Amino acid sequence: MTTGAPLLALEQVEVTYHRVITAVQGVTLKVARGQIVALLGTNGAGKTTTLRAISGFLGLDDARVTEGAVAYRGERIENRPPHEITARGIVLVPERDKVFPNLSVAENLVANVPRGAPRADLAYELFPKLAELRGREAGYLSGGERQMLALGAAIACGPELLLVDELSLGLAPVVVQDLAKRLQEIRDRLGITILLVEQNAPVALGIADWGYVMENGRVVLDGDAARLGAHQDIREFYLGQSSGERRSYREVKQYRRSRRWYG
Amino acid sequence: MRGAVAAQPRGNHRRGLSIQLAVNIAVLASIYALIGCGYVLIYRTSRVLNLAHGELMMVAAYLLLATASLFSGHPLAAFAASALLGLVVGAAVYLVLMRKMTGERVLAAVLATVALGILLRGIVVLVWSAQQQYPGQALGWSNPALALPGGARISAAAAALVLTTAAAYAGLFAFLRYTRWGIRMRAAGQNPLLAAQRGIRLHGVYALAWGLSTFTGGLAGMLIALDAGLEQTMVVIGLKAFPAALVGGLDSLVGAIAGALIVAAAEVLLIHYVNPLLADVVPFLVLIAMLLARPWGLFGTREELDRV
Ligand SMILES: Nc1ncnc2c1ncn2[C@@H]1O[C@H](COP(=O)(O)OP(=O)(O)OP(=O)(O)O)[C@@H](O)[C@H]1O
Ligand SMILES: [Mg+2]
Repeated sequence: MTTGAPLLALEQVEVTYHRVITAVQGVTLKVARGQIVALLGTNGAGKTTTLRAISGFLGLDDARVTEGAVAYRGERIENRPPHEITARGIVLVPERDKVFPNLSVAENLVANVPRGAPRADLAYELFPKLAELRGREAGYLSGGERQMLALGAAIACGPELLLVDELSLGLAPVVVQDLAKRLQEIRDRLGITILLVEQNAPVALGIADWGYVMENGRVVLDGDAARLGAHQDIREFYLGQSSGERRSYREVKQYRRSRRWYG
Repeated sequence: MRGAVAAQPRGNHRRGLSIQLAVNIAVLASIYALIGCGYVLIYRTSRVLNLAHGELMMVAAYLLLATASLFSGHPLAAFAASALLGLVVGAAVYLVLMRKMTGERVLAAVLATVALGILLRGIVVLVWSAQQQYPGQALGWSNPALALPGGARISAAAAALVLTTAAAYAGLFAFLRYTRWGIRMRAAGQNPLLAAQRGIRLHGVYALAWGLSTFTGGLAGMLIALDAGLEQTMVVIGLKAFPAALVGGLDSLVGAIAGALIVAAAEVLLIHYVNPLLADVVPFLVLIAMLLARPWGLFGTREELDRV
């Protein structure tokens, strides 16, 4: 990992839902400027919760960061309202409900409160397909088009750090490959740092510089993306390339050992 | 309102009568539509039923008495100032009282509006007494009856009300469709979390909805007061507009117009052909009929009722 102060740093973060349900615990992770960082893990591992801890909760979520710190450019931002986080330059592409279904594509882009000048044109430039669909109600878009609109709208907010939750959810492999390329383009051309949550480890590790693996609300493993992709546990659990018996996800000890081994 | 609706047809000529009834329906529907859009604006942006809408409308109408003495000799300025005060009062009510309720259960927010309504009624009696007042006189405006083709008549204030309703709806449609803040308001109504994540300040949007709602309600209240005088019973008119908004589906402005027409037509026709005493119950009868006939149609099909 690059040295110097990271753009985003989570330090021993704990998130509690409804005052009693602890969803993630002791999560520590860093995102350096200009990197693409992948956050992997199975269903319910706490990936979405971790992203929400960064992007902010609303009162009606009844969720809070109850321990630890989220620092963005050295400033504490945990438990700030979402619009304020967006104004600071962190924009989330959520897992579900990522567009306003009864607004047209163009209106979805206009609804943003961008940092600085409005950048709807940037969304059309990145995803020319959106320009053709301008007048279409977002609720009628296909899954791929909807993901493009969500990414485009997030980019039009003018982020420095883009949080993407489940880029590949419900999308055909070719579409996922294409969107992954766009993410790289977004990072390379616009200099936007990306934290990417994925179930699809090969796709995420294929474009990421660094990866974290979550299990049961904790980070159990992290490392260089290329090395992680080659790691035996990852291959077995997330790439499905098991040699013989599949081991239980609960074998956290195995992870702990691996984690020490990686340092 | 009574003045406008009960305007007597000239002669017993059938055609004249039906034209007069149509005019009365149009006036009453305008009243319900202008008041009803306030319920719709707040409901569709924040999923809260504002049961203090009638009281807020009444407060805005009473403010006309204050601005009339403040701007004596400039009735239009007094009228405009009172309307703008309505906007400010609505936004202030949100920011001071309802803001705390955002994210609470919808029921808590609705109960808060009920309490607010009772409080406002008390304040109005304390400040302006329970006597009937005539802001039209204070402004120096007379309210002549205008003759319409076909022998029907309409009071000047009622005609102004119909035109104001048309202008208010045109303005609201344009605002919601073509302006940034209007589009943000629709976005916040569809998905408040996503709206906040796109940088939209929810409190700002909700305050705007409350402001616009009280502004349009206040216009209705002031014009009704110019036509028929002002007293605390105005709250009942505000309440009767609620079924109109509900019948049309609370989250749609077009629905509010349709609902207002249905309720107004039922009310005018039943008053005329059956019994004038029915006036105050008709909207609620229509509401019950509607609930029995197609309860699913009331709130549109795409959204659930229990989202904040
Ligand atoms: N609103 C909520 N209220 C209570 N518990 C919640 C809430 N949201 C998430 N959780 C719990 O927090 C844990 C982590 O959930 P989270 O959605 O962060 O997982 P995830 O890694 O994103 O899973 P997936 O891959 O299925 O999206 C789960 O046990 C889940 O049940
Ligand atoms: Mg998730």
